[in-house]
Amino acid sequence: MLAMSLSLSRAEAVNEPERSVIMDEAAFQRLHQLTARQLRAYLLRSCGDLDLANDLLQETYLRFLKADFEGNDDAHRRNYLYRIATNLMTDHYRRTRPQTNDIPELDPTRGHAEEVDMRNDVGGAMAEIGPRDRQMLWLAYVEGASHREIAEIMGIRPASVRSMLFRARGRLADELSSRGLRPGLEAS
Amino acid sequence: MSMTRDGCPHEASIIAAVNSGQWSPELREHRNDCVQCAELTLVVAALKSDADKLMAMNEPLPDPSPLWLRARLASKERDYQRATRAIVWVQRAAVGAVLAVGLAFAPGFWTKIKSVILGFGLETSAIDIPRAAGSPLLVVVCSIVVLAVLAFMEFASLSEN
Repeated sequence: MLAMSLSLSRAEAVNEPERSVIMDEAAFQRLHQLTARQLRAYLLRSCGDLDLANDLLQETYLRFLKADFEGNDDAHRRNYLYRIATNLMTDHYRRTRPQTNDIPELDPTRGHAEEVDMRNDVGGAMAEIGPRDRQMLWLAYVEGASHREIAEIMGIRPASVRSMLFRARGRLADELSSRGLRPGLEAS
Repeated sequence: MSMTRDGCPHEASIIAAVNSGQWSPELREHRNDCVQCAELTLVVAALKSDADKLMAMNEPLPDPSPLWLRARLASKERDYQRATRAIVWVQRAAVGAVLAVGLAFAPGFWTKIKSVILGFGLETSAIDIPRAAGSPLLVVVCSIVVLAVLAFMEFASLSEN
């Protein structure tokens, strides 16, 4: 590599530091406060590992900031965060388990993280269904995302969401029923 | 009620009732009769309970402040790279031009060097060393090669960033 002296100092080159990051620190802190706990719960329920969920959470916000995503409102920014988080989760498992293209099933017998209590009725039932099902159900019924938002976050066709959600719901309902939960006795 | 993938028209009301805990007698009755709404109630209530539990966890959230600083640094680095890219290109082109000119004058220099060597009376095989650049075509080719190497290095550094 040729060693060359650059005549422009870093201080001179970056004389507009605020312009390059769209969101200021206070706005970022506010967004983080508004979304982080929910986003971690989503990651945690999807992967079942608190440390991994925390790592992915940090990486999600870092990528969000680096992308300079402005968004129309908080809901738009929140959807973008979930999209990054979902992609990161998929990428993580592609890297660590190259033989699969998807997030692995949770193993309820070994327990991915004791502190997450995966073996309670709901956690155990969630562990039995597929990772995409987990994500989709969470987005639809915990986050209240519309079918179009789910499609955007998960990178699937909007037309597919309804039937995929229907099947996922059926699978989770079967798992919950097999654990003795019924609509009248639902978790409270 | 038959179970279809079009969904029951009461789904939205069921979800709202599960989340608020306020069931009208009619809706409760419907839920007890509709397989789809019974299933939905079970799933939404289970997920709500699970989400409440996970969100109430005592585990502290990671501190977001370092993220802001890291993003700022990355952004500054990007701006810096952008601002200095043209300068770096000019510098590299200048180095390439100097090398090309050097090669163009190499035959003349080589003749001088050879005469100096011969002046020492060293009758060695140095005289047999091929001329480094004997033709304009060779100069052009050498220049292109040098510039190509520089361009490759530039693209490599860009892709690393």
